[in-house]
Amino acid sequence: MASQDIESATTALQVQPDNKARRYDRQLRLWAATGQCALESSRVLVLSGSATSTSILKNLVLPGIGHFTILDHATTSHADAGNNFFLEGLESVGKPRASEAARLLRELNDSVDGHADTRQLRSVIESNPDWLASFTVVIAHNLDNQILTKLSSLLWEHPSHPTLIVVRSAGFLAEFFIQVHEHTIIESHSETPPPLRIDKPFPALKEHALSLDFASMDPTEHGHIPYVVILVRLLEDWKRSHDGNPPRTYSERQEFKKSILALKVKLDEENFDEAEAQAYRCWTETTVPPEIASLFDDPAISPEALRESHSPFFHLLAALKEFTDQSETHTLPLTSTLPDMKADTTNYIHLQKLYKTRADEEKHAFKSHLRAPVDDATIDLFVKNAHALCVIRGTRWDALDRTALVNALAENPKAACLHLSLSALSTLKDQSPDLPISTEALRKQVISIIGDEAELPECLDDFIGEVVRAPSAELPTTAAFLGGMIAQETIKIITKQYVPVRGYCTIDLIETWTAVIGS
Amino acid sequence: MSSTTEVPRRGGRYTHAEAILGPELCGRLADTKVLLVGAGGIGCELLKNVVLTGFGHITLLDLDTIDLSNLNRQFLFRKKDIKQSKAMVAAQTAGAFNPNVHIYPIHANIKEPQFDIEWFRGFDIVLNALDNLDARRHVNKMCMAAGIPLVESGTAGYLGQVQPLLKDRTECFDCVLKPTPKSFPVCTIRSTPSQPIHCIVWAKSYLLPQLFGEDEDGTTELDDAEKQGENGGQEIAALRKEALAYRAVRKALRAAETTHDAAKTVFQKVFHSDILNLLSMSDMWRSRAPPTPLDFHAIENHSFVIQEPSKSHTATGGVNGRSSGKPAANGHVNGNAASAPIQQRNGTNAGLKDQRALSLQDNLALFVSSTNRLAARLRAGEETISFDKDDDDTLDFVTAASNLRSAAYYIERKTRWEVKEMAGNIIPAIATTNAIISGLIVLQALHILRKSYGALKIVHLQFKPSVPLGTVNLCPPNPKCAICRDTYTTVLCDPTNVTLGEIIDGILGDGNGEHGGTGRREVSVYEDKRVLSDPDWDDNLERTLESLNVTRGKFLTIVDEEGEWGDIAVALSVLPPNRPADGPSLILPSPLPKPTHTPRRTSPAPTVSRKRSAPDDDIEESEPLSKRPRINGAITVPQMGSPSKKRRLEDEGLVMLSGATDEVDDEVIVID
Repeated sequence: MASQDIESATTALQVQPDNKARRYDRQLRLWAATGQCALESSRVLVLSGSATSTSILKNLVLPGIGHFTILDHATTSHADAGNNFFLEGLESVGKPRASEAARLLRELNDSVDGHADTRQLRSVIESNPDWLASFTVVIAHNLDNQILTKLSSLLWEHPSHPTLIVVRSAGFLAEFFIQVHEHTIIESHSETPPPLRIDKPFPALKEHALSLDFASMDPTEHGHIPYVVILVRLLEDWKRSHDGNPPRTYSERQEFKKSILALKVKLDEENFDEAEAQAYRCWTETTVPPEIASLFDDPAISPEALRESHSPFFHLLAALKEFTDQSETHTLPLTSTLPDMKADTTNYIHLQKLYKTRADEEKHAFKSHLRAPVDDATIDLFVKNAHALCVIRGTRWDALDRTALVNALAENPKAACLHLSLSALSTLKDQSPDLPISTEALRKQVISIIGDEAELPECLDDFIGEVVRAPSAELPTTAAFLGGMIAQETIKIITKQYVPVRGYCTIDLIETWTAVIGS
Repeated sequence: MSSTTEVPRRGGRYTHAEAILGPELCGRLADTKVLLVGAGGIGCELLKNVVLTGFGHITLLDLDTIDLSNLNRQFLFRKKDIKQSKAMVAAQTAGAFNPNVHIYPIHANIKEPQFDIEWFRGFDIVLNALDNLDARRHVNKMCMAAGIPLVESGTAGYLGQVQPLLKDRTECFDCVLKPTPKSFPVCTIRSTPSQPIHCIVWAKSYLLPQLFGEDEDGTTELDDAEKQGENGGQEIAALRKEALAYRAVRKALRAAETTHDAAKTVFQKVFHSDILNLLSMSDMWRSRAPPTPLDFHAIENHSFVIQEPSKSHTATGGVNGRSSGKPAANGHVNGNAASAPIQQRNGTNAGLKDQRALSLQDNLALFVSSTNRLAARLRAGEETISFDKDDDDTLDFVTAASNLRSAAYYIERKTRWEVKEMAGNIIPAIATTNAIISGLIVLQALHILRKSYGALKIVHLQFKPSVPLGTVNLCPPNPKCAICRDTYTTVLCDPTNVTLGEIIDGILGDGNGEHGGTGRREVSVYEDKRVLSDPDWDDNLERTLESLNVTRGKFLTIVDEEGEWGDIAVALSVLPPNRPADGPSLILPSPLPKPTHTPRRTSPAPTVSRKRSAPDDDIEESEPLSKRPRINGAITVPQMGSPSKKRRLEDEGLVMLSGATDEVDDEVIVID
């Protein structure tokens, strides 16, 4: 570029995003290029072309998944035409529901590949299980119990098999469950900021804090010392006169806080107010957070398991454990993310540089513990999010046993009753698909699930009543709501960003609440 | 649906809805008139839901046109629809789906005068799918005035909210003070920036309008700053000199011939002379690092190096200028900018072009090219150009100019991607959240239509995997709310023929009997923030409403001087179209309004502010940033009257107007 003049440099300068980046601009700001890339290589199978299923798919096609298949042998009915936006009204009636829906959904985004498959699920499970296993996520809406049990066992057979999301709905009631084997999350997008380690300052930070002479500063400068520096300095001063201990008792802590405010030369020095508000950091020891410490016991990072493992996550986790064990402070690697604070440019940037330099050093040290090749971008992400890593080991879809259900009834009767009503409904539909669903039959079925010793709360009747009123009817608003919720969870699973819902998430849209049981 | 048995096909269509909603509500829906305000992210989803649910008459209003960045969630639009009206295309796409519903699309701004109180009264329910505070407040006020139930909504990324608002039953949108726009002092923006956002605000709201906006000398805000006693007079005087020098630069940009030189002239003035000028004020830099003037040629030929002055450490020059021409990202500070609204996500975005870190040379090149592109547009006939995040020329200009300024002040630079987000107040938006929220809007709307008020809730979509939905019970109205505690009434009139005095006397009435109003009393009268009359100032009473610019769609607020009567808000509407030619030109409401009466002097109550912000494009309940530093503060109209009120209002910057053409210049301007 050195030899180019400014005009040609200008033409060569490509700063404007391409059309794809423009189309996805608003979501890229949420899950970034890594998340988008994961979405674009995903394959999603949806079982049934119901209004709920197509609502879910709509919200996956718009942000740009790679491929979807709708597996459904039904033909479009009048009722379908009335409540499913992704059918062409009367035009679609009598035609295969899967093909009609797939065609209209494809129109939403021409970079998404979409297929219709009109085979029976039952025969696919028997004849073509490998095909089912080839997807990233399988979403099943209102499948009857028997076939669902078969499907969930099949997909549970091997850890590499797709995640299964089970969705049930009746009228204003719904629930969903995510059957996921092992799910590791680096970017959990935690709202907890990484620790600043004020109580265990690294040498350069301590040196900087001790080098300052607060008393001789001019008023502007004094009002712009970042609170981190103030705290590090005062804590060091305190320790020197208290046998190396931080403020420990309530009165010591009050005294410490007072000493911060006493340093103000003007009343409106916000940086000292910030320091007082953040003073607790001086006596709250920075350690490895318990959720992360518990990951260090994970069997997946035993030397034997790691020899077999190709998961960068667990190799990184093993390195993290070694790093914290061996680090002087027994803390996670420092990150350079500083919160907003009262400071002028020079002071703030200097502080940022100190943190950045130290963070780079610690990252370097961290890398030396890593025994497998991992690309730098992933290492950066991992270190940056080390305080909020997450490992989920899910359970099988029907693993909720009687004891767990009885406990759930005691803890959250409404949610448990909602779950029981929907479970009873799908068993009944299995047993006698053509009979109308009665209150008595549902109640009997609930008792056979939970046992006759359990005490059933009154609210069970409300849920049974709602299920009887609308055993298979899909309200467009419920479908829209579920379409958003389920697609959201699917995106979390595919991108491995954000923490998905665990357990059975029950949804009551009459009283408007959601609650999770069995997590 | 009453006709289910007669038309079998319809029975099929509504099988599900009827089973769930019951035949009574389901039948009533066909006659229900609903107004959807907004056909964007939430609006598209919402339209689909109300069409499927079977709302019979749907009016859909949106002022916007379709953009490529809408297509990741606004599913009623396709690529071929780009630049067309959102309302029209959405109505077309969704309407084909259910032949039994009538959709009336309107491509317009909801604040236009024809959408007056009478128009709002024509609906059974209003559903908001808006993206900016200003329009939300407007619709809220109209719904409170017309007594029409409103369901309000908003989303930001994974988060969202739905809130039913019913006059006298629940809080209205303005019962709770909304966060005020964040603003920066004039001098921070103009002379002593310390964060990237300061430089971005400067480039977008100061430099761009100075060069490409309307011709003004830009000294008004300096006058005000001086009055407010902000900083030293020396600094203001220097800024004043700087402002006058813009004339020459504006001229160069509009000259018919040169291009490259014009951009260079701008650069020399803005990044060299102006900074030298500021440096001459040594007082300012006693405890701050003085900025470094930039050198066009040195940057161009890669010989420019900025040495940041340092107090407590040895500067390495790592923050800025690299002579290698490589992006400065490796050397510069990586953390989060102190006040960046959204965290930057380094290291993960390498794949996108506009997330590339720009070197000083890149920024110079971008500055020259974008200045030239903008100048060419002026020469091609555009009179003024203002910032639009989707206008690449203006975004490039703001990116380059803010980064060059950051360089001069040793501030971390931002990528074009980040600048877009910060300058455009971009809120992440995804299909899933909009789908969830729009489902919840209709569910709340059905509760309202069924009059099951007990079931209404404020619903939050939140970040917790264990409790995705959070609900809050509705609160009663804030007794001090300046919007929903007014007593609303309507007059139908011909503003060319009716005087202000006639309206006031007519509304106050003689106080006799049930229907006779409150009787005459000492009052002040406002239109929005303008005082039109008060007990000591009656000059306007004889003037026609039109001459005072009080016309259809506006409100007159009558405030009791002694604070004993509640305020009356008079909505102005037009005379019925079929009235006789010799009929009256003023039709008063009957009975006349009788607000609450508290027969004792009350001290002026703290009021809900009537702060205004300018329309924003993509703001969703975020904290917008102030475009221009707020100098006067927003104008607050106190609710309760008191004899000293007028004086106080004047102190607060309220303008006494006498002519129809006088306009209140809103000091609070928000980045859009």
